[in-house]
Amino acid sequence: MRIERSSEWEEGFINKLNELGKWDSWTLYKMNYEIVKMKLITDFTGLQATKYLPNLTPLKHQLEAAETVIERMNGKAILADEVGLGKTIEAGLVLKEYLIRGLVKRALILAPASLINQWVEELNIKFHIPAVAYKKNVQIERHDVLIMSMDTAKKSPHKERIYEQNYDMIIIDEAHKLKNHKTQIYEFVQGLKKKFCLLLTATPIQNDVFELFYLISLLKPGHLGNYDTFQSAFSASKHDLEHNDYLKELVNQVMVRNRREDTGIEWTNRRVQIVPIQFTKEEEEVYNLLGTLQNTGSFSMITLQKEMCSSKEATALTLSKMMEDNAQSQEIEDILVKLMALEVNSKAKKTLEIVEQAKDKVIIFTEYRATQIYLQWYLHANGITSVLFNGKYNKSKRDYMKHLFKERAQVLIATEAGGEGINLQFCHHVINYDLPWNPMKLEQRIGRVHRLGQEHDVHIYNLAIANTIEENILALLHTKIDVFEKVVGDLDAILSNFKESV
Amino acid sequence: MYPQQVHSYLRQFFNENDCPIISEEEHYLTVQLTADIDKRIMNRPFYWQYVEATNSEANPAQVTFITNQTASTGNLYGEAIHFGSPRMNQLFQATRELGAYVQLFEKVDNAIGQVILTPWLGVNFKVSYCCDQTKEMLYSFGINLLTGIIKEEFQETICASEFDTVPADNAFHVQFIIKPLRALERLHATIEKIIEQDDHSWATEAKKRWQRDQRVLDYFYEEEEDKPECYEIEKKALEEQYDTKIKIEIINGGLFYLY
Repeated sequence: MRIERSSEWEEGFINKLNELGKWDSWTLYKMNYEIVKMKLITDFTGLQATKYLPNLTPLKHQLEAAETVIERMNGKAILADEVGLGKTIEAGLVLKEYLIRGLVKRALILAPASLINQWVEELNIKFHIPAVAYKKNVQIERHDVLIMSMDTAKKSPHKERIYEQNYDMIIIDEAHKLKNHKTQIYEFVQGLKKKFCLLLTATPIQNDVFELFYLISLLKPGHLGNYDTFQSAFSASKHDLEHNDYLKELVNQVMVRNRREDTGIEWTNRRVQIVPIQFTKEEEEVYNLLGTLQNTGSFSMITLQKEMCSSKEATALTLSKMMEDNAQSQEIEDILVKLMALEVNSKAKKTLEIVEQAKDKVIIFTEYRATQIYLQWYLHANGITSVLFNGKYNKSKRDYMKHLFKERAQVLIATEAGGEGINLQFCHHVINYDLPWNPMKLEQRIGRVHRLGQEHDVHIYNLAIANTIEENILALLHTKIDVFEKVVGDLDAILSNFKESV
Repeated sequence: MYPQQVHSYLRQFFNENDCPIISEEEHYLTVQLTADIDKRIMNRPFYWQYVEATNSEANPAQVTFITNQTASTGNLYGEAIHFGSPRMNQLFQATRELGAYVQLFEKVDNAIGQVILTPWLGVNFKVSYCCDQTKEMLYSFGINLLTGIIKEEFQETICASEFDTVPADNAFHVQFIIKPLRALERLHATIEKIIEQDDHSWATEAKKRWQRDQRVLDYFYEEEEDKPECYEIEKKALEEQYDTKIKIEIINGGLFYLY
């Protein structure tokens, strides 16, 4: 066994014996001993961190998560609690514990740019961890705990500078951004030394089980075998899972996942429903005409059909672009004329109905900017106030929009990018105007509203137009949710309160 | 550490270090720091560099520490301090530096008449077992510098005694025969022996965890003849994570002349 002995005290002692400098006081000597005794870590297991954080009251599931990560997973884990259960607190507890125990001296935290300030604040104020956000003039080697955006970190020269640092712990927030192993960020993280490592994501599987494979292969390469063995053992096709009990067990060895219902906290209900909508005859005609287009160039048929399910404004934008570089422009022009002649948007009409019935704050999520603007106009024409929200807004504009929504407007219309990083517990109705391909995006959207602090039942309306591509999307969403539940665990209601077999 | 404990710790610390307490109530105290303590706990090296470089008059800080924020009323302006707060850690660090070496003579009642004080070397050790987990133990030893006898739990046996920094008039203190540094070596040997005889299943377990993780890693790169750099990085990470070692650190120690 290697024994390290520090000679520092001895050198000082020799100096005192040689009468260089005066001796210390008995009282301070005793105080020193008492403090060391009090701070002594007498056990390999158990959390010390809580003693040092009298102003923080972690919830039971958060403490258990931190303990599990340290004691059973040896400090390498995916924290996959459902949205809003405090993954940041769990990560903070683990980091604090390792800092106290002296096992971590330097840590790097990677997060989306929009969440960096929140991390700095939480670590400094709640955990007394002197974390610093990386900016141009920050000297990387001077700070032991550094927070950086993934987009910055993966690029030169930052990438190289990070590799030179000897970090003991890596924490990655919103780790589902690493689901694709061909991306720059994935390669970057793969090249990092991960002595202790936490990956935070509520949605470790978004589309298929390989995403989880790649995530775990970053954390603990080989835990799920290599690619070939994994593929042959677990996946006949991407959505069809055999041996899923065995896989689930392996996954649970490296993943902590708390669900709202097992936190012991009273949660309000999610009332989720699919709202079927019928196109008018005219709408249906245009929709079908779109399906007859032969050469759509770089624009896919699916895009057009999805847009048509959203608004004529969204569709028109794409059609006009297609006309610019397309031979069959006459055909397109004919459709455009028919499209522009449409007077009713059945989906918008239904949306208005829901908003009016709710008599309360409502968030509408759409995937298209054109639809977003159209909806604002349409609601306004019907006497309903709304504000817009999108991911490109900077922090202060986001805060301002949130404020306007809370104080002035009845409706917030957000595009996809608006789904992350805002918390709107004062709102109880969410309309998914367009359905995304990825069920976890729905979960993230609902999570903006259904989180700690929500006092009312939350109503979710998933709009889908009958006999269109939206029915296919619904079916696919059901399949993907099924994969997630088989491998990761149950999910809260996303599509509807009733389980349907597809 | 409860708020009252923090409070009395602060009072004691400042008293010992000649920092006058200007005002005090149950939940706060205001203290005038000396230059030395300001440098140690206030975290403003640039200020002190400036003072020393320009030879200007030093102005050590006057601080109000709020030891119990819940009891704090009105518009008391100050710094909240509690166990685990950064300032508290600086105070602990200062205590560590200022309470490291002593030379003390036991106080003896004059009525007893002439007495002889025996020299001891007392040392407090902290031993840490480290792998991906940690455990710490405290050992306090005293060694008689005349006979070489070693006593365990030394600090506990002397902590209630009273001491002076100079011997009393009626006390005659014997010079040591065993040199303190030689005695320190013997205490080190003693502690290493204790460590040797201790149960080290923690290290065996850590090694098992290491091997298990290494096997998993090897499996992932099994097919590849030339292992990529990632493999070496991961391998090194496992070594750093699970490698076992024992650290021996001296907290404080000194010469005690005991009756």
